[in-house]
Amino acid sequence: MAVTTVYSFLRLAAFFVFALNVSFSTAVKHEGFKTCDQSGFCKRNRAFADAVASSSTTSPYRISPESATFANGQFRATVLKTIADGLTVHLPLNVTFLKSGLARVTLDEERRRTGDIELRHGSKARKERYNESPAWALVGGLDIDFSAQLGEHGNSDVTAIRYGDNQRNEAFIRHDPFSIYFQRDGETQVTFNQRGFLNIEHWRPKVEVEVEEGVEKPVTAEDESTWWEESFGGNTDTKPKGPESVALDVSFPGYEHVFGIPEHTGPLSLRETRGGSQDAFTDPYRMYNSDVFEYELNSPMTLYGSIPFMQAHRKGSSVGILWLNAAETWVDITKKKGTKSKVDTDTHWISESGILDVFVFLGPRPEDLTKALGDLTGQTQLPQTFSIGYHQCRWNYMSDEEVKEVDAKFDRHGIPYDVIWLDLEYTDDRKYFTVDSDKFHNPAAMHAQLDERHRKLVTLIDPHIKNTANYPVVDQLKEKDLTIKNKDGVTYEGWCWPGSSHWIDCFDPKARAWWKTLFKPDFFKFSTYNTYIWNDMNEPSVFNGPETTMPKDNLHHGDWEHRDVHNINGMTFVNATYHALLDRKPGKPIRPFVLTRSFYAGSQRLGAMWTGDNLAEWGHLEASLPMILSLNIAGMPSSGADVGGFFGTPSSELLTRWFQAGAFYPFFRAHAHIDTRRREPYVAGPPYTGIMAQAIRLRYQLLPVWYTAYHEASVDNSPILRPQYYVHPEDEAGFSMDDQFYVGSTGLLSKPVTKEGAATVDVYFADDEIYYDYFDYTIYSKKGFRTVDAPLDKIPLFARGGHIIPRKDRPRRSSHLMQWDPITLVIFLGKSGDAEGTLYVDDGETFDYQSGAQIFSKFVFDGVSSTLTSQDIAPKGSLTDSYRKTMAPVRVEKVIIIGAPAHWADKKHISAEQGKEKMQPKLQFHPASGNKAAWAVVRDPKVSIAKEWKIRFA
Amino acid sequence: MGRLEALLIVGFAACFINAAEGPRPRGVGPEFARFYESTDTFSCISSPSIQLPISHVNDDFCDCPDGSDEPGTSACAHLSSLSPYTVGAVPIGDVNTTLALPGYYCKNKGHQPSYVPFTNVNDGVCDYQLCCDGSDEWAKVGGIKCDDRCKEIGKEWRKLDEQRQKSASNAAKRRKELVAQAAILRQEVEVKIHTLETEIQAEEIKLKGLEANLAEAERQQRGKVVKRPGSGGKLSMLAQLARDRIEELREALIEVRSQRDMSKGRIAELEGILTTFKEEYNPNFNDEGVKRAVRGWEDYAARDKPTIGDEAHDRDLDEIAKPDSETGAIKWNEWEEPEESDVDVLYKIEAYLPAPFRDWIDKKLRDLRVLLIENGVLAPSSDVGSSKEVEEARNALKATEDSLKNNRNQLNTHKEDLEKNYGADDVFRALKDQCITKDSGEYTYELCWLGSTKQISKKNNGRTTMGNFVSIDSVTVDDEVPPDGKGLGSGVRVALRYENGQHCWNGPNRSTLVVLACAETDELWKITEEEKCVYRMEVGTPAVCEVAEKAQTLKDEL
Repeated sequence: MAVTTVYSFLRLAAFFVFALNVSFSTAVKHEGFKTCDQSGFCKRNRAFADAVASSSTTSPYRISPESATFANGQFRATVLKTIADGLTVHLPLNVTFLKSGLARVTLDEERRRTGDIELRHGSKARKERYNESPAWALVGGLDIDFSAQLGEHGNSDVTAIRYGDNQRNEAFIRHDPFSIYFQRDGETQVTFNQRGFLNIEHWRPKVEVEVEEGVEKPVTAEDESTWWEESFGGNTDTKPKGPESVALDVSFPGYEHVFGIPEHTGPLSLRETRGGSQDAFTDPYRMYNSDVFEYELNSPMTLYGSIPFMQAHRKGSSVGILWLNAAETWVDITKKKGTKSKVDTDTHWISESGILDVFVFLGPRPEDLTKALGDLTGQTQLPQTFSIGYHQCRWNYMSDEEVKEVDAKFDRHGIPYDVIWLDLEYTDDRKYFTVDSDKFHNPAAMHAQLDERHRKLVTLIDPHIKNTANYPVVDQLKEKDLTIKNKDGVTYEGWCWPGSSHWIDCFDPKARAWWKTLFKPDFFKFSTYNTYIWNDMNEPSVFNGPETTMPKDNLHHGDWEHRDVHNINGMTFVNATYHALLDRKPGKPIRPFVLTRSFYAGSQRLGAMWTGDNLAEWGHLEASLPMILSLNIAGMPSSGADVGGFFGTPSSELLTRWFQAGAFYPFFRAHAHIDTRRREPYVAGPPYTGIMAQAIRLRYQLLPVWYTAYHEASVDNSPILRPQYYVHPEDEAGFSMDDQFYVGSTGLLSKPVTKEGAATVDVYFADDEIYYDYFDYTIYSKKGFRTVDAPLDKIPLFARGGHIIPRKDRPRRSSHLMQWDPITLVIFLGKSGDAEGTLYVDDGETFDYQSGAQIFSKFVFDGVSSTLTSQDIAPKGSLTDSYRKTMAPVRVEKVIIIGAPAHWADKKHISAEQGKEKMQPKLQFHPASGNKAAWAVVRDPKVSIAKEWKIRFA
Repeated sequence: MGRLEALLIVGFAACFINAAEGPRPRGVGPEFARFYESTDTFSCISSPSIQLPISHVNDDFCDCPDGSDEPGTSACAHLSSLSPYTVGAVPIGDVNTTLALPGYYCKNKGHQPSYVPFTNVNDGVCDYQLCCDGSDEWAKVGGIKCDDRCKEIGKEWRKLDEQRQKSASNAAKRRKELVAQAAILRQEVEVKIHTLETEIQAEEIKLKGLEANLAEAERQQRGKVVKRPGSGGKLSMLAQLARDRIEELREALIEVRSQRDMSKGRIAELEGILTTFKEEYNPNFNDEGVKRAVRGWEDYAARDKPTIGDEAHDRDLDEIAKPDSETGAIKWNEWEEPEESDVDVLYKIEAYLPAPFRDWIDKKLRDLRVLLIENGVLAPSSDVGSSKEVEEARNALKATEDSLKNNRNQLNTHKEDLEKNYGADDVFRALKDQCITKDSGEYTYELCWLGSTKQISKKNNGRTTMGNFVSIDSVTVDDEVPPDGKGLGSGVRVALRYENGQHCWNGPNRSTLVVLACAETDELWKITEEEKCVYRMEVGTPAVCEVAEKAQTLKDEL
């Protein structure tokens, strides 16, 4: 008896020990971040919306008719907000119509703008609403459409203005109550203030309690508890400007899906956030860039960066808005059955401060939106070639010897890589721009070894500068007064990696100029010109700050409050680093590479981002895909997630699958927490190492595809990864799909395996075009789901018929060493028998491409004439000829035609011509077998990628 | 070294066969020359049925599934299990695509010929380490020009090689010394064993004599013994004493239990606090103090907890703590009856007790019995009294027995030591307990031969044990040897396993694999953390010189 009891006790004890271990759980620290209820302005605006929705009161905003003017593509008026006692607040309205077909609506507050207000606590903050977001986010696209004109449907209460391409677009500005309906081709696509949630919290003096007693409260009693002061987690925000939020409802009638507003976990097609279906979130999507520790999946919680761009999509139409506001912002999303059994999506945008500044995009195609967004916020940086190779990172490679050893091991294992990274611990005591010489005895030898294979080093430089003695960087920072200040105007001190720290204020041009000096190799002695930079913690992360970031009443350059500029702050830091790298080397400028964690609309111009501190769990692998897709369609395509997962140790299977998926992230980097097991791809051993090597080599084989896709993104902001809806905007079944995607415009369809133990995946083919298995040419030619085998060593990758992709098949040790290798053209014939594709090539590191030093070829295979042509579509410049001459030896070594017509079986030779040269390359035909397509190989046609040529198969 | 060395050796060996041959296609090593002799066609080496016009050899297009038509270019470099397999990328779909050639053959005139992997041919980088004549970049892609550096590299290599030879012969000498030293140490042990065996023999004889002495003394004594009268009348007194004593123990038990329960509560409370602390702290902040505390707590939580207060035990204690009533375990009244007077029954009192309690009560009763004997209440259970003579005889016997036992133990230890694996030729016997150290980053690392490995912080001098010696083993390595010769090279190497070092946060107990290669002196070359808390030391020592050479020769023969 007793014996069995003892045993059961032991079992129980074992269980408790076990339970204790698993209770080392990985949940986000929810209590560290605000819910809408805990964020005063969000709560107030939600309450306001509820009050409006549940009563028949009309919106208190109207246009003063005598103020309204329309001229030169701009509608100006004063919006009057009626407050208690019939008093009104004057809000200058500006609706600008742009050549790009966009409309821009701004609404400001006259008293704040003119400084006719008083701030509390003697604050020296600026009185205006923040209006400098455009200076940071926008680079163009603001040309006014002077041909915009009053439409015939206007009347005394509604001003109608036609604008855009062929005047397809029309804005209906209703005066009382104020609202705007945007139509395209006579159909309403986007509405402002249709539901009356517009709310500009005007300036008011704080009324002391005893005075207040005599005053009659307004009918809709407002909750004033969060007007003047807010506390959270032991931090108090003094709010010297009082309540100042801006909010607006934006509806998309007939649109069931909305996408965008990264960075969040959860599906690409955004979920409802209020009162809707069962799986609706309870909080709005939040954008307040934060260092969220061990973030949770499927959540509207904020993350490290934000892009306030939302795209609505229905069959045949995409429209969207850009909400240009840098303050904390919440977005509620609800859907309802609209007319004709269509679903309407209603959104409610709530920002804490700043002016209201919204761009309206009327599409109609998804690419029209991304292009217009690119015109406004800039194009994706054309990166150096090395940065689209594979990056090996770990917190931390602890010495120069270790760096050299990891470097050598990649070569020994035949795994290509381009960049090795040094996290925090390379510094001397966490002082940036210094090095721990205990660990790094001989950096020069380390750099030299990396240089041999043209590999690069990336080191961490963060915006917090250690507050310590004998550290020239902090001395200069303080002496030159380039810091972010606290509410009293004194240099702000907080805690981050180095302990007590100060923060550089990159809003200040003087700070940016100084920042440049730090990157010169004579100052940053550890670095060489092969060294590039990783900007982390730039939300900014402040360990002891409210929500792990800065107090909102901190002050920046120009006396703007941190609250006004928070979401842009991270971008200003990357901007400073970008320009420092640009300026670093005398002579010919080299394209900078900066990785950032925090970002905003416009960050794509400056470098890549990654999704921060994820976990080594299958769920995080799965979640990385919708996150990266969301970033891609919102204008930040150069993105990736830590391969392997940052926290925790992945199983070999998970790691292998993650490499297979990561090979399709635009930014492809493995990273690991300092407390996790080593996991460089060569550590796991067979069969895993070999499979990971294959995935990485596949990435390198497809580098021409990736570089061409990046080039496209650098021209028109195209997504590098494209979700199903983007490529097939008419196919409703694919609209909410976010676990498979296309690479650029290449027709390559990737469906990464994200489930443990999976032996198959279900791939969705959106149409009846032929899809080929990329590796073995199996044919799929029916629309719908197909279950395909996906054992561990198989990457589900398909090629849509009708595309030509360029490859470099020879494995090399780094991307630079592939630059002279010949191209293999792979033609996946479509049903029509035709195919086309492009190839972009330049030197991969300088800006010479802007002077014509580039190759941009269009390949067309015409099924009727059985001819493959290479057409030069590159813009020409002063360097075109010399570059072409340099590149002439780079040839197309092989053309593989998949789905080759059966009658080619008899052909032994075909003809090729390039200028005056005529060749007769061999053709080798392989007949179809089973469900695998026939294919043919053109053997060494002796044509150059730098020239135009023709290959005739007929 | 690794592949490089292997290739060098193969190439070198091949030189001899080659002497009289004509020109070969670029990149073909002499041992493959025979495949390239035909002047009109070429047959792929692994699939001779595939025949190509000779113009297809080295035309920078991969025709053979084994890549043998491109010995001098990188055109077939992708034929590898490490490459993604795509149908159109290999010459023919399902033929074996293993490369037939080891790489691109560099003649390296003035040095030694070797093979460069095809992936490195014409990639714009001069791979002088393998190809000092620069011929791997014959196409001069991007304008790269790799001068022939074989003269200087060969000279440097020969110089180093001479040093290596010298060093190797020194190392071999040093090893001989070590082996000799080890032999002396072994001899010392053997001498000790011999001495001990002699002593033991003598003692065994002596013991027999002493046993006889004691038996005689006792026989003498027995005659003097007066049987003691029965002690029945004292039993009830005894019972009373026992009862009081047990009552006292019972109360003490209750008191201790309540104290224990209180402590248990406090521990639970503390553990609760620590569990919350552990769940809620942010490891990302990387506060060493906090991390250390969490680590400590995890180690504590992971240890087997003493089974204080399990239910069964508690029930037993409840049982014990109950006052002895009529229904209780011991009916004292029965014992107070004078009739039942057999003392021996008392000794068997345990038999009446609840089984799980037996051991506990047994101990208590032994204490009690000693108490009773000391108080003269009870006679010792042995009938044999002792005289001085008997006592002396017994002591003498005891002393000899002890000495014998001690000597036998020693003998065992030494014999075991002789049996123990000290490596080939017993060589590590000579190094045992010697230590070597190396500075690396923020730590100094220490290796004590057959002892332990340690990491010593330069900042606070904290010492962390990275493992204790467990066994001698061997591992296969494949590393390049740097020019200074301080590297493992390729092949089977002697390795020392050190395990069960200090426990690691979120990880295993630290362990170290010490891999040895021949060197002139004992030297810690490199320390790496292969994965979390699993270390590897690469160490040079003369101790493994011949062994390594043997392994190497074996490999070469294969």
